[in-house]
Amino acid sequence: SQCPHKWKRVYCTLCNSKRHARDRCPSIWRVYLIKEDKENKNKNFNNNKKQIPFDKIYCYNCGSQGHFGDDCDQRRSSRVPNDDGSAFSGDNLPAKLKKDYYN
Amino acid sequence: KTKIEEKIVTTEYPWIVNHDHSKQTEIADWLTLEIQDFVHYISPSKEEIKARNITISKLRQAVKSLWPDADLHVFGSYATDLYLPGSDIDCVVNSTNCDKQNTSSLYKLAKHLKDEHIATEIEVISKTRVPIIKFVEVESRIHIDVSFERTNGLEAAKLIRDWLDTTPGLRELVLIVKQFLHSRRLNNVHTGGLGGFSIICLVYSYLHMHPRIITNEIDPVENLGVLLIDFFELYGKNFGYDDVAISMTDGMPSYLNKYDWRDIHPMRNPFSLAIQDPGDKTNNISRGSFNIRDIKKAFAGAFDLLTNRCFELDGATLSERKGKSVLGNCIKYKGKERDFTDE
Ligand SMILES: [Zn+2]
Ligand SMILES: [Zn+2]
Repeated sequence: SQCPHKWKRVYCTLCNSKRHARDRCPSIWRVYLIKEDKENKNKNFNNNKKQIPFDKIYCYNCGSQGHFGDDCDQRRSSRVPNDDGSAFSGDNLPAKLKKDYYN
Repeated sequence: KTKIEEKIVTTEYPWIVNHDHSKQTEIADWLTLEIQDFVHYISPSKEEIKARNITISKLRQAVKSLWPDADLHVFGSYATDLYLPGSDIDCVVNSTNCDKQNTSSLYKLAKHLKDEHIATEIEVISKTRVPIIKFVEVESRIHIDVSFERTNGLEAAKLIRDWLDTTPGLRELVLIVKQFLHSRRLNNVHTGGLGGFSIICLVYSYLHMHPRIITNEIDPVENLGVLLIDFFELYGKNFGYDDVAISMTDGMPSYLNKYDWRDIHPMRNPFSLAIQDPGDKTNNISRGSFNIRDIKKAFAGAFDLLTNRCFELDGATLSERKGKSVLGNCIKYKGKERDFTDE
């Protein structure tokens, strides 16, 4: 696996990742059908302020509250690599909440 | 010739017969619809439910006629509607005197059921921690296990029914994971597999911690496909079995570091699944699942099979997609054909 000749540059035109080619992009299957958010529409005049439920966020890697496993700063517990990122990541939050989460 | 081939192919995935979703734009939606069809396919028909209810009331009458102070209740997967076709029915006999869990009572009931022509192929298993009698009910041919003087199974069934009411998608994903583990012989606790209650706890905790669900962005029932893949990814690839335990305190699923759960120490094998019993914080309900290495591997394999299938079908033409199954890449159904009607 150290052989430099075998190493090929991969690039995904779907998500700009250098870890996989386009035909193996997780975005092919990691597609969520988002709710027609009636609540949000009603709340529009209500400033549309959605809060991150930090009390429901737990880490699959260290067990603590407040961050997802992909974002854990402890040593990785599982010996299976997680190159492409999983569902349990701040990146899998809606755009509006992402900023608050990473702050 | 093509017809014969088709029949062979579709018998392994009988839920896709007359239910073609290959024209879905998103593969995730295709998988969601297949999961719904699968659940529909294996769910009991009205006749099966009726046969089961008759069987149970017959049994209950027989128990009461032998012991007027006793009653019989169903627990386990039949009490929560989370059973696969052909599963055993778990029953328990409880009495006001609490005196039926002894070898002579077990034999007394076994003989009574035989004399009443209710039971055949009877086995009395009395020298285990939980003594039971096993038999086949004569008319329905259903396999039945009866245990004695225990209430924790009944309490667990009530708790699970509450979880099912408040957790959309739980029933569907539990049935899929059960069938998946069943076909790989990894669902038997006696051989280190994952038991029904542990499977329910895994899926329940997963659904209550998923980023898209806790932010109320998605309806889980409309997203079963991607949620199934995310589940296999979590418990097949990423979950830290060595360090993390699952807790269900007050019905609120959470993770905790194993180091902080003193009751499970010392741990013989740190690479193990630890799930806190919702009814007893000191008890690890999955301590018997010693084969977690194979279970994890199987989940990871299911993730690879499903995602590879998605990549393959994503690049395929509509005519290549027709008649194909996404779910069938990781789940097969073997067994007698079932009526599959839309109601
Ligand atoms: Zn990509
Ligand atoms: Zn962590």
